[in-house]
Amino acid sequence: MKSGSNLERILEGGQFAVTAEAGPPKGSSPKVIQRKGELLKLCCDALNVTDNQTAIVRMSSLSGCVLLKELGVEPVLQMVVRDRNRLALQGDILGAAALGIRNVLCLSGDHQRFGNHPAAKGVYDIDSIQFIQMVKTMRDEHRFLNGEEISGDVPFFIGAAANPFADPFEFRVTRLAKKVNAGADFIQTQGIFDVPKFVEWMKMVRDRGLHEKTHILAGLIPIKSVGMARYMRNNVSGLSVPQEIVDRMADAKDAKEEGVKICLETIEQLKEVEGIHGIHIMAVAWEDIVPRIVEEAGLMPRPVV
Amino acid sequence: MITLEQKKFEEIEKMTKGYSRLLVLGCETCSAMSFAGGQRQVEELASAIRMAQKTSGQEGEVLEDAIARQCEPEFVDLIRDKLAGCDAVLSLACGAGVQLLSERFPDKVILPGCNTTFLGVTEELGVWSERCAGCGNCILDKTAGLCPIARCSKQLLNGPCGGSMNGKCEISKDVDCVWQLIIDRLARLNRLEMLEEIFPVKDWSPAGHGGPRKMVREDLKS
Amino acid sequence: MSDTSPINPMAHPPCKLACPILTDVREYVQLIAERRFDEAFATIRRQNPLPRVCGRICTHPCETACKRGQIEEPIAIAALKRFASDGPWKNQYKPVLPDKPSGHKVAVIGSGPAGLAAAHDLALLGHHVTIFEALPVLGGMLRVGVPEYRLPKNVLDEEIQAIVDLGIEIKTGVRIGAQIKLSDLFEQGYKAVFVAIGAHKDRKLGIAGEDQFEGVISAVSFLRAVNQGQNPKETKKAAVIGGGNTAIDSARCLLRMGAESVHIVYRRSRDEMPAAQEEIEEAIHEGVQIAYLTSPLKILGEDGKVSALKCIKNELGEPDASGRRSPKPVPGTEFTLDVDMVIAAIGQAPDSSLVADELGLTERRERIIVEGPYTLVTTRPGVFAGGDAVTGPATVVEAISAGKRAALSIDHYLKGESIPAIEPAKDVEKVSLARSVVEKTRKFPRCKKISLPADQRLRGFKEVESVFSEDLATKEALRCLHCYLGARIDAEKCVSCLTCVRVCPLGIPTTSKMGEITIDPFACQACGVCALECPVRAIDISLDPRTEIAQDIKKAMSTSQHSGPVIVGFFDLHGNFDSSDVENLRQDYPHVLPVMVFGLRRIDTSDILKAFECGADGVLLARCPPESDPFPEATDRVKRRMAHARALVEALGLDGGRLEICDMPEQGLVQKELIDGLIQRIKEPGQVRSE
Repeated sequence: MKSGSNLERILEGGQFAVTAEAGPPKGSSPKVIQRKGELLKLCCDALNVTDNQTAIVRMSSLSGCVLLKELGVEPVLQMVVRDRNRLALQGDILGAAALGIRNVLCLSGDHQRFGNHPAAKGVYDIDSIQFIQMVKTMRDEHRFLNGEEISGDVPFFIGAAANPFADPFEFRVTRLAKKVNAGADFIQTQGIFDVPKFVEWMKMVRDRGLHEKTHILAGLIPIKSVGMARYMRNNVSGLSVPQEIVDRMADAKDAKEEGVKICLETIEQLKEVEGIHGIHIMAVAWEDIVPRIVEEAGLMPRPVV
Repeated sequence: MITLEQKKFEEIEKMTKGYSRLLVLGCETCSAMSFAGGQRQVEELASAIRMAQKTSGQEGEVLEDAIARQCEPEFVDLIRDKLAGCDAVLSLACGAGVQLLSERFPDKVILPGCNTTFLGVTEELGVWSERCAGCGNCILDKTAGLCPIARCSKQLLNGPCGGSMNGKCEISKDVDCVWQLIIDRLARLNRLEMLEEIFPVKDWSPAGHGGPRKMVREDLKS
Repeated sequence: MSDTSPINPMAHPPCKLACPILTDVREYVQLIAERRFDEAFATIRRQNPLPRVCGRICTHPCETACKRGQIEEPIAIAALKRFASDGPWKNQYKPVLPDKPSGHKVAVIGSGPAGLAAAHDLALLGHHVTIFEALPVLGGMLRVGVPEYRLPKNVLDEEIQAIVDLGIEIKTGVRIGAQIKLSDLFEQGYKAVFVAIGAHKDRKLGIAGEDQFEGVISAVSFLRAVNQGQNPKETKKAAVIGGGNTAIDSARCLLRMGAESVHIVYRRSRDEMPAAQEEIEEAIHEGVQIAYLTSPLKILGEDGKVSALKCIKNELGEPDASGRRSPKPVPGTEFTLDVDMVIAAIGQAPDSSLVADELGLTERRERIIVEGPYTLVTTRPGVFAGGDAVTGPATVVEAISAGKRAALSIDHYLKGESIPAIEPAKDVEKVSLARSVVEKTRKFPRCKKISLPADQRLRGFKEVESVFSEDLATKEALRCLHCYLGARIDAEKCVSCLTCVRVCPLGIPTTSKMGEITIDPFACQACGVCALECPVRAIDISLDPRTEIAQDIKKAMSTSQHSGPVIVGFFDLHGNFDSSDVENLRQDYPHVLPVMVFGLRRIDTSDILKAFECGADGVLLARCPPESDPFPEATDRVKRRMAHARALVEALGLDGGRLEICDMPEQGLVQKELIDGLIQRIKEPGQVRSE
């Protein structure tokens, strides 16, 4: 075991994993995270705590992780290189290790221009792949980026993101391979709506044998309304929402029900794809729906390992 | 070239208020080529300042001059006499020129009339775009001759990120994704395998993060 | 006066270099475009004492050389000269005589264009001139060779009178060499003599019947008689032999005198015909028939009178010494033309027999020999010769040129100076424009001359062509491409920013690898875009230089009476307005101060600010209608610049409504409502513009 985390045990045990997102609040109250933790604790194997998601300032992801841990929920610490240089990143990694956090998701982060502090100076000292490599070196060799030794263990199950829908498509698998080579133990993908394109990507992943070197968790975004479907199709870079999905949402009598239906159908299709080891549900501002989706997808109860 | 843009007139007007003898000093190289501070813009701006002073009832004189480069002491010293009678200089040079004026004329108020923007190329007349970040450690041999430091919004060395769509950067449809360009170029050169390897972290110290930069050529200096 | 400085062919427009007297064509064409007609005339008249003659009958080599000719058609320079010289403003021109006469007496023999030009220039140099003329009338070939319908006698009279009025003594009916010898003249106190006796001797046809029948006449005799109001012979059917202008003149006169059919018989094809193309066209238009590739063989007669002309058809063989293909008769192609009159127009020669002895000419020589074509010095000290007498039959302007050169040589001679042999840049190679420039240049058709309808012409000798209207003249003058008045780079200032390379609508500036910019001064059409956009002001143009625009603004402001809101109005000269529109504007809106420019392309933001700085309350910019704009591709650039200017004016706290940018109306300078609106906005700032 690299980290001994619940997520690692489930995945290494060959079981189908379920993770979800628990975004911290734009405020100092611990209750938001605590409520999400209580809501999701039984239906997920671990919860991702986002890091100033979409470049909007929120409670730090490390704090959110600690709050979850206190509830007995396993957190995945999301960290973006946008806001921290190599010193801060390594410092936070050590701190997270000390606080008992065992999963980390290494990300670039959305550009600060999208957020609520567009005049901020972006850091981008290292990129996400270099970040993965750095954490792996800290864990496996007990060394900082500069080669100096670290005292104590840095036991992390290292995660990375993959977006099969961004361009250039052919390069997306190469980039995944780089992340795997850098040390990504698991992958959480961008939300999947365009299943055929995802299936095509997974075939390329398998052709390179990457599905055997890392655990791929397929990303899902439950859609609440046709407006949300349209917004994601038109405004979110790196998302591919087929017209069919938008039409289904538009034609539905009960949009929320249709959204759940689409999500469940997608999960069914993804389960059949060789190399998918789990799902990651990003129910932004609709966390309440996650237990129902996991239940109806036949993924309950969650295994205890 | 170094690109510059003239500051908004409102800002210049505020900054230059109250000086009785103001010299508007053009810089005839980069600033001129950026249409920010050559002779032509000096004429225009000086005329505008005079008008603004007249409108606000301020008594004052606005002089015009230009030198080849305000970043060279020898050129700067050529305006010493003209400057003697002035109480302030509005420099239309880049930040380097403004500062050299400040250093050469310790008793004068030196004001910046331009914003220094970037190191770039002229795409066409009136359109410039950034190409170089002056990072002090060129890696263009490894990136198909296109710079991710200057041209990737996140300075990714192992890009592109998940926000690259249709060849454009996630920050704007007007910004090319340089990683798409790099990949296209390497594909054309049949060198895509260059991107399989993980690009190591960058040493930012020559980029200015190691403190203010200075170059000394022992063979040249006096 | 002739220009005595050496001519640099790289600095002068081809029109000037093509002119034997180096007329500043470009300058007067530009002045016409600027509606400064009196100055245009003065420019012409300073160099040419016979401008109205040349405006009508000059062979205008300038037009052949004109750069516009490479685009579509050359500028109608001769017609513009006539416009500038015929207008009422011509009477304002007063030649300036020197305060003190030189005290030298000079005799000019012959009152043709060479003699008149020499007399004019000599008088202006302070010498006392006497013209000796063999005929009872002055003018030489201009009077007795050129028909009235091409050059009205009253026009010639007026031009000659203006020259005579310089204090020139006239002796008509005096044949030098007969009654008075050259040596007599020197005895009478003349210090120098200019022999300009022309070429009035006919050439014979040399065919059978020429001297046998009544009705064979030389063109010179015929035209001389016609021009003196006589009709040498009633004719129904006539043949004119020859292909030069004299043949055409004779044929056209015959039609006017009632001939029913006139045939010109010419031995080569139309391409080789020496007469001016337009003259040939007019003759055909009037009904003259031309038998090309035809030679006369024999004149046939009945009862001692001409009855027919026997001819033979030719084909063209090998080129002869003149480079023209020589005609070869084709056996068996003989035919006859029924005619009652034959005019021989196969050339004239000088008759130098009366002065031959004194000038040491051999008997067989017709032309007077001079030492060099520029000094015009003969073998006899103090005697100079020029014009047709030296060259053989040539053009009016060549004769004027000879007269002017003679005046200079004589002046040097009289002052005891050596006579410089200044050779003008001759046979300047025609510079071809790059095809890309030709393609990018906007085409404007040449303004058509207005001529009498053919049926009206033949009723008399009324002048065929009428003068351009002011409208047409300015329009035609605005076609000028301003050779060598374009962009000049100050290499010291240039920073190789390439702006000129990028903005030139014709793609003329080029750069070297090291950034050295070259702008072909011939190809450049002085649009002024590069001069304006240059960020370091390293470029200026000679047409409306930037400094002049600034001065014009100041000058306009200084004339202001401050009787209301003062408005500086920039008007594009390419607009369709005439001088009365400008006058009306001055009267209706005395506080609108016009600054005329060759295109609003030339007005920069700083010029607009300058106007405000000088005290203007408003600025009006009037663009010419798009169909008149030679550089419509620059319009968008102009509009964007104006938007920038307006933004800056507003940033200065002035109402943007004080700046009015408008299109000129189809006719006139500016619509009154626009000025009224501008005045209104100046008086009550803050009003929304109606645009």
